[in-house]
Amino acid sequence: MQISEEIKISDNGFVFNSRTGESFSLNPMGLEMIKMIAIDNGFDEIRESILEKYDVDELAFEKDFYEFLAMLKHHQLTQQGNPLDFV
Amino acid sequence: MKKSTYEKPIISKITTGVPGKFGLSTKQKIIAEIDSIPVAKFVEEFGSPVFVFSEKKIRETYNDAKRAFETRYPKVQFAWSYKTNYLDAVCSIFHDEGAWAEVVSGFEFEKALSLGVNGANILYNGPEKSKQDLMLAIDHNASIHIDHFDELYLLIETTRKMNKKARVAIRINLDAGIYPMWDRFGFNYENGEAWNAINRIMLAENLELIGLHTHIGTYIMTASAYGIAASKLSNLMIATHRKFDYWLKYIDLGGGFASKNTLKGAYMPGSETCPSFDDYAEAISNAIISSEIPHENLPVLFLETGRALIDDAGYLITSVLANKRSTTGRKTLVIDAGVNLLFTSFWYNLGVFPSREVTDFMEDTTIYGPLCMNIDVVREAINFPQIKTGDQLVIERVGAYNVTQWMQFITYRPNVVLIDLEGKTHIIRKKENLETIKKNEFNPKK
Repeated sequence: MQISEEIKISDNGFVFNSRTGESFSLNPMGLEMIKMIAIDNGFDEIRESILEKYDVDELAFEKDFYEFLAMLKHHQLTQQGNPLDFV
Repeated sequence: MKKSTYEKPIISKITTGVPGKFGLSTKQKIIAEIDSIPVAKFVEEFGSPVFVFSEKKIRETYNDAKRAFETRYPKVQFAWSYKTNYLDAVCSIFHDEGAWAEVVSGFEFEKALSLGVNGANILYNGPEKSKQDLMLAIDHNASIHIDHFDELYLLIETTRKMNKKARVAIRINLDAGIYPMWDRFGFNYENGEAWNAINRIMLAENLELIGLHTHIGTYIMTASAYGIAASKLSNLMIATHRKFDYWLKYIDLGGGFASKNTLKGAYMPGSETCPSFDDYAEAISNAIISSEIPHENLPVLFLETGRALIDDAGYLITSVLANKRSTTGRKTLVIDAGVNLLFTSFWYNLGVFPSREVTDFMEDTTIYGPLCMNIDVVREAINFPQIKTGDQLVIERVGAYNVTQWMQFITYRPNVVLIDLEGKTHIIRKKENLETIKKNEFNPKK
């Protein structure tokens, strides 16, 4: 999954979509993850990084991560790929 | 190296327009313990969900109400409204504080007797009293509050057959200046029906009319409405004295004081908008004292306050079963207690709180119960922090009506626990099991 080119992410968690004019806010964990996603990190790399740094188990992370991705997709912040390809 | 605290990643859309009442950030209230006992300990010991009642809070609230009235009026007597919460342990606390019993059915009458309440200290309300119920009440010398003419004539007939006297009051509905006006209970004041009933009773040999009762409604947020009701009952008392040279013994203003819960549709929280006991006491006492009733004949003031006395003392501890997202991206929580246990969630926006520290990031959330029913919504919209599956939440102000109107639907009703004055916990109603449900069933095929 890739973040759309029109999406601008500030360091304080503010997200702006220049295509739709919509704006969003991220909590610190959301900001950290979207930054990793934006530079093309895959699930495994992100998981490894988060698990090493934070007090969270693998399953809890996986569930939250995919929910977060679903929300990014819901808000149309990701590039539209193959509609059959969920992530 | 110690790892950092993890928080679920969240993205939320920023919407512009008129700010809502949640526009300003507030610190999320946490209920980590009840009467100094950690919430987690209740779940560990008694399971989840679990109702918890605080004896300390019950007694404090009762004494607060009592003080408000007794400092303003010379003769005050509370009668505990059984229908609000008729768990034996709860009723016993109110009786221990000096409250009489106010019952609305034969079952509640029997329950009050089983707790050792003297029959003469039972006020018997309600529109449904069978001949057997009336006989029981007459035998125990209770105050029977007559609801309609059919009941009055049944009572006349029953006392004749028993050759016994009954002590009675009449229930009166009246316009207290509030909407909706409750006119389904008792005899109407404005159209003269109540006066007719008084006249008929005063002529009946075996009936002793000792009081007047009204129940103007429920969750009444205008204290002055009680003042109007008290004035009208005082007028009837004076009229009775003028015609029959007889002073009635009491005026009963029923229940209906608002608790601090927030009604659905209300903009401000109930804790900020509901009148205090002092407000109600001021309106009622002033109306009776400033009436034409001579001070030496002032009636005893009965109050059947239920909700406002017990709501704050009850908590429901529940656990989060799931975090979900709706198709619109809205955050939803599924908890293990639903509308089967929280009947009051149909009209209140119940206060739901985390039991441990949370981060400041809040989201508009819907809280669902566990039932396989679309109506099972505990909170349609609440600004709520991120909560992990398995975490415990505390729902406050659930002491009134929930443990009497709860439903045994698809699951067992949970343990109900009381924290006594010494901080000890007691199961006051045991969690149901298959046997509880099946013992009254009969299967002709087996």
